[in-house]
Amino acid sequence: MSDVLRRIEIPIALTIIATLLQVIPYYFEIPALESAANTASNGVLLIVACATFVGVISIIQVHGKRIQRQSEGWYYSLLVIGLSVIMALTGLPFPEAGLGVNNSIYNWLFINVQTPLGGTMYSIIAFFITSAAFRAFRARNLEASIILVAGTIMVMGNAPLLTNYFPFIADVSLWIRSVPNLATMRGVMIGGALGSIALAVRTLMGIERGYLRGGGEE
Amino acid sequence: MSVWQKINKLDRRYTYLLAWIFVLFPLLNPLGLPIPISPDAHAWYDYVENEINDGDVVLFTPMYGVSGMPELFPMTVATMKHLLTKDVQIVVVSFWNQGPLVFNTLLTQVDPADYGYVYGEDWIRLGYIPGSETAMGSFAANIHTTVSADYVEGRSLDSFPMMADIQQGEDIDVIVSIETGTPGTPEWMRQFNAPFGTPQITGCIGVSVSGMIPYLQSGQLQALMPGLTVSAEYEILLNKPGLAVAGVDAVSTSHVYVTLLVIVGNLAYFMTREDN
Amino acid sequence: MVDIAIWTAVFFTLGIYSILYRENPWFRIAESCYLGVAVGYAVGQDLKYIRDQWGGQWSSSAGMMLLFAIVMIIGIFWYARFNKEYFYLYRWPLALVVGTGIGAALRTVIFSQFLAQITSQANTPFFVAGDMVGTINNILIQIMVPSVLLYFWFTGEIRESAPMKVVEKIARYTMMAGFGSAYGYTVLTRYSLFIGRAQFLLGIPPNPADSRMAFIVIAFVMLATMIGYDMFMKKE
Repeated sequence: MSDVLRRIEIPIALTIIATLLQVIPYYFEIPALESAANTASNGVLLIVACATFVGVISIIQVHGKRIQRQSEGWYYSLLVIGLSVIMALTGLPFPEAGLGVNNSIYNWLFINVQTPLGGTMYSIIAFFITSAAFRAFRARNLEASIILVAGTIMVMGNAPLLTNYFPFIADVSLWIRSVPNLATMRGVMIGGALGSIALAVRTLMGIERGYLRGGGEE
Repeated sequence: MSVWQKINKLDRRYTYLLAWIFVLFPLLNPLGLPIPISPDAHAWYDYVENEINDGDVVLFTPMYGVSGMPELFPMTVATMKHLLTKDVQIVVVSFWNQGPLVFNTLLTQVDPADYGYVYGEDWIRLGYIPGSETAMGSFAANIHTTVSADYVEGRSLDSFPMMADIQQGEDIDVIVSIETGTPGTPEWMRQFNAPFGTPQITGCIGVSVSGMIPYLQSGQLQALMPGLTVSAEYEILLNKPGLAVAGVDAVSTSHVYVTLLVIVGNLAYFMTREDN
Repeated sequence: MVDIAIWTAVFFTLGIYSILYRENPWFRIAESCYLGVAVGYAVGQDLKYIRDQWGGQWSSSAGMMLLFAIVMIIGIFWYARFNKEYFYLYRWPLALVVGTGIGAALRTVIFSQFLAQITSQANTPFFVAGDMVGTINNILIQIMVPSVLLYFWFTGEIRESAPMKVVEKIARYTMMAGFGSAYGYTVLTRYSLFIGRAQFLLGIPPNPADSRMAFIVIAFVMLATMIGYDMFMKKE
């Protein structure tokens, strides 16, 4: 029995059914199918929400091993596990017990730890971009020169100090955004749409199985 | 070693230090630099002011987390303040799990009650819905089954009179999406604009702007607010200068700094190219 | 009176920025805390949604309750990924989620990202009366967009043909200018994020004023420890 359940055809069939259940009611007016599709998609939202502990368990696995082996930097892993467990426990949906999204510890950690860390983590890229602008952004050939000039004009166009005294910079940067950038992104978008349709068809035909890999099996 | 060679070999930490100086200085000593108003800011302001009519149902969606707050929060606050001056029905929902807490932060600065808005009658919070684009599609198909209870009071949506006529995506008159990535405008386009033709305005981080331009040019997007500079211009149009205006001097100086670095770096490259 | 919340927020902000000097324990502490809190945060929001949903349609009838139980069982199968023997069960919820997502996107992608864009492109007039710049721009768009499309679609030997060589050049230069535009906006985003954090560190309203003192003290301590340590190691 378990050999039958292990067959890759089962998840492929589930994918196909789930896809068709979303697509067919959109194009054909079949009330029963529409109702089933709505219930199915609501059910999928719950399935997605159920995966919430996967990250916590993975973290505990990886960092727990580090603590166990006392690898380099293992004490930092204590912080990782400790905080993820605290957030997970205080966030449990039991408002009667004072837990949940309104729990004071949960909110304190979000406002005073998550918020500054999240905002700062992505902002350090500003410095790396600055360093790259100085050390790597070179007009080595014509194409590099085009990207350099376009990029520099866009940077200047976002500086009110420059656009106020040199309005033509704003006009040129708007032109770059509205013409070559539009052309690039429109081409990418149309190509991407066709590519995503092709990928979806391949998935529906069971040819594309990349998302099902893992576990040491096919 | 010539000056240009020294510049070429400059420790990158000096560039970091200069970046700090170019940003901190105008924040500590505001330069009061003039801020020209761009067409983007005018378009956004005009749309909210003239195209969103009294009685419209506005879906207000902070689609970002703490990582995008510094750039997007000013425009979120300003747009909310602008919407609250009108007589619309505001439905707040997010498909990013940090969206509700971002909105909590907004409520510490903007109280809808100050504008005469009553919770449950004029505006409502539906919280976070997991599932990305699937959630958006489900929301468009049937709001009341996708979201069983409101985020604040935990009551069934059917118990709120304002939700009686807001059942599905068709009932939304305009979407205001402030976003930083996926799910975002492409997903809104697929789940709301394509089936229902729902108008949308999008405020986004600079990184996302390039991808929004085709939607803007095709008319699928009615207005676009690309980043902090245009947020500052919008605050000026609203006559409510806030964090964006406070930060725009630093935007100017930092961008001048990057421009200078590119120029100096390339000069050093060309001057030392033969030596190398 | 020291506000622990503000000093904590400043500490973590500067902890991340300390990486700009070099890799150091302050950064590792901040990074570890970020990882822990980020992973655990989503749990609260997701479980609240499940609980609220149970209070709605899913408990309205025996049939819906049974469906809810089935959905929950399928949801538990996610955790089979941690077991080699039952790993195959993990693919079932994954297949449902992927399939539903593909279906939701597939049904309208042709309209929003394909037809709408092609319609807009076709509706772009070559000639705009009384607007020379608009006319030139539209002509450029009408040349650049097909060039970019052809560049992506036709690869291999056909690229060697004379017309494709021209198309390739136009497409490449167009894309370089487009990517330059993306770079310019990337600089805006990253500096905007940095400016937002700097406003917090300097206590610029509506940020709490106390954070400026915390910024000075904590920055001094962090820099002193890092530079002091480097000088000590140099001596050794």
